[in-house]
Amino acid sequence: MALSLFRRYPMEIILVCMYTYLMFSAPGFATLDNQMNVLRNITMQGIIAFGMTMVIVSGEIDLSVGSGVAFSGCVTAWIARALTDTLGPWPAITLGAIAAMVILFLVGVLTGKVRQHFNMPTFITTLGLLTVLSGAANLITDGFPITSFPFQFNFLGAGILFGIPFPVYIFAAVFGFVYFLMNYTSFGRALYAVGGNLEAARLSGIDVWKTKTLALGITGVLTAMAGVLIASQILSGSASAARGWELDVISAVIIGGTSLFGGKGTVRGTLIGVLFLGIIVNGMTLLNVSEYWQLVVRGGLIIGAVLLNHALDRSAKKH
Amino acid sequence: MSAIIETQGLTKIYGNVVALDDFSHTFEPSRIHALMGKNGSGKSTLVKMLSGVTQPTRGNMMLDGREVSFKSPHDAFEANIVTVHQELSLVPDLSVTENIFLGRLPRTRTLGINRINWGQARRQTEELFARMGLDIDPKATISRLSVGQQQTVEIAKAMSFNPTLLLLDEPTSALATKEVEMLFGLLRNLKDQGVTMMYISHRMSELAEIADTVTVLRDGQHVGSIEMGASSLDNVVDMMFGDVARATRPARNTAIPKENPILQVKGLTRAPVFQDISFELRRGEVLGLAGMLGAGRTEVLRAIFGADPYDEGEIIMDGQRVDTPAPGSMVDLGLGYTPENRKEVGLVQDHSIHANLSMASLSKLAPHGFITKAVEAPGVAKQIEQLQIKVDSPALPVSSLSGGNQQKVVIGNWLNIDPKIMFFDEPSRGVDVHAKQQIFQIIWEQAATGLSSIFVSTELEEMLEVCDRILVMKEGRLLGEIDPSRTTLTELYTACMEGL
Repeated sequence: MALSLFRRYPMEIILVCMYTYLMFSAPGFATLDNQMNVLRNITMQGIIAFGMTMVIVSGEIDLSVGSGVAFSGCVTAWIARALTDTLGPWPAITLGAIAAMVILFLVGVLTGKVRQHFNMPTFITTLGLLTVLSGAANLITDGFPITSFPFQFNFLGAGILFGIPFPVYIFAAVFGFVYFLMNYTSFGRALYAVGGNLEAARLSGIDVWKTKTLALGITGVLTAMAGVLIASQILSGSASAARGWELDVISAVIIGGTSLFGGKGTVRGTLIGVLFLGIIVNGMTLLNVSEYWQLVVRGGLIIGAVLLNHALDRSAKKH
Repeated sequence: MSAIIETQGLTKIYGNVVALDDFSHTFEPSRIHALMGKNGSGKSTLVKMLSGVTQPTRGNMMLDGREVSFKSPHDAFEANIVTVHQELSLVPDLSVTENIFLGRLPRTRTLGINRINWGQARRQTEELFARMGLDIDPKATISRLSVGQQQTVEIAKAMSFNPTLLLLDEPTSALATKEVEMLFGLLRNLKDQGVTMMYISHRMSELAEIADTVTVLRDGQHVGSIEMGASSLDNVVDMMFGDVARATRPARNTAIPKENPILQVKGLTRAPVFQDISFELRRGEVLGLAGMLGAGRTEVLRAIFGADPYDEGEIIMDGQRVDTPAPGSMVDLGLGYTPENRKEVGLVQDHSIHANLSMASLSKLAPHGFITKAVEAPGVAKQIEQLQIKVDSPALPVSSLSGGNQQKVVIGNWLNIDPKIMFFDEPSRGVDVHAKQQIFQIIWEQAATGLSSIFVSTELEEMLEVCDRILVMKEGRLLGEIDPSRTTLTELYTACMEGL
């Protein structure tokens, strides 16, 4: 009984155990302030991770999201600076945010088209884009952060509403949106079919390229949203923001049980993965674990989670 | 370097299936021995035992009067028995020389460093080619060669081991006529050098040309071995099929209207795979597309379905011209296709039976893109019941089902779109006898409700059993039409082999 429960919810159970342990051993972990702090810290990577789940389930990957976040923050700040005088600050910022989302959506679509027509693995295209977008962000900002936002803009990324950090609401909304997409739309079903067996999906009349391209496009939009949130949090558009996030995001998706080969994975799992990473980082910091050791532990976690999932899969097949 | 191969009571049993039963025969040296038989007749089993891939359940094999027993392919290799398999086993991005000496390139020591002696490797390759009378550049990359040349390299590689017995498993299945000529020249040359060969092929017409003797197997039994010179092809076909009577099929309502066909195909061509294919599919009929492997049957079906492109031709479905067929739009028009390789492309193996049963009907069930499991459930339940799919729960992965039930899931997936036309490509492959009958039953029942379908099977007796009308294809061309109720298996087989 206990074993079958563990087989069904392995990461959830480990998460609960870890949480309980930290509650009693990490000083300050159980305070409400700290809990909110954890939540705020995971929202932005989490928002992207939900989109990344769709991309990876469809059998592709997006390595460019780290630079995408920085780029979209810079685009928003740059447009806000250019238009605030004529339109006023809020329309200018809105326009900037929309522009960032549209651009990253189109970049995602382009990645999908290149995959379709030139059979170029998204691993390569988005690896290139990681550098391209970072360069573009630096071009826009000239290497210095653009501080064009009014201080009230800080609310979006750092404000508190009804006792909960504001970005957490966005995080929850995006989770709900992606959960709905993946479970209650034919697009969501197609994602799994395409990632599970591309040719079988194609022969069933599913538009396999549209499916993959849309997943990449949506992830672009979510990346831009995270970029706007972080720009709000630091009140500037900075080209050096979010460096290395792509690996954290992919780690969260993988820890959540999504297969890099495609066809398998849930956004609920990704939510667990995101919480898992956030809590372990916070807990280790409170326990005064050195930052270097934290890196070692986080890396080990990814490997351990995948090994565990494989082992459970194998034992499930025997039963 | 030639050998006498002798078998005594050679028997192989898998579970409760006797794949080869008490096979005793002497294969004389320096000759080409053809092995003939339908699928599952035991010829592959025999070759596998001779090449050490599997071990006999009982019985002996003797090489030059010495008893041998092969625990692994390596042992057979040591005894100078070399096999050329149907699938090429060359590394496409390496050179001809490197492929021939893969894993055993000659080495030399220079300044204490053990290095590959490329010069020697090339010289040995050139010598080998000269001996075999081949004109292939040893430096060429394999992927740049034609399939025929690649097959030749494969045989050259086998020859570099100086085999006393060369086993050839359908070496011509991927070759064009000209390349086959070249290959036969090579084989005759090898025979003159004293190599004994065993040759498996489904192409009857090749026998007279290349084989000295023919050994026929049927259902694991050794029917007989004859000298090719003293026999005719009809004789061999009779030996292969025995006295099977005309296949039995249920009385079908034969009121199939000739006019107003549901599908018309005119001059469909994709050179060089198929050419000028024109036919009509009548309403409510089961039309067979017969032919040997490589005749182009599957390719024609895939082109009509839009899975592969074609060069020219016209497809008219239900009176409506289809300009650029694609799977998505053809499904919308009511065409379904169960692919021949069910395991690889018919199903998403890791996914649930539920998901696999509603894959093709997604857009139909969710016109606005929104869907729930509850919306899909009736279709899933209906097919499980109607097709009698044995499942504990539709939530289980489809890979947990037997071959027959998996095939029913593939068919059910398509029936859920309420198709007007179905293409059944090898629906009975890898399916047990009982499930096979059930699948035929499904096809007939659907036909009775007005579904028109095209049926393809490598097993010709199935074609005679299932179809109302059979079109015969050979080498990418449509040869003509056969009435299954007036045709024997031997006649159909000969038609597929030799033409009408």
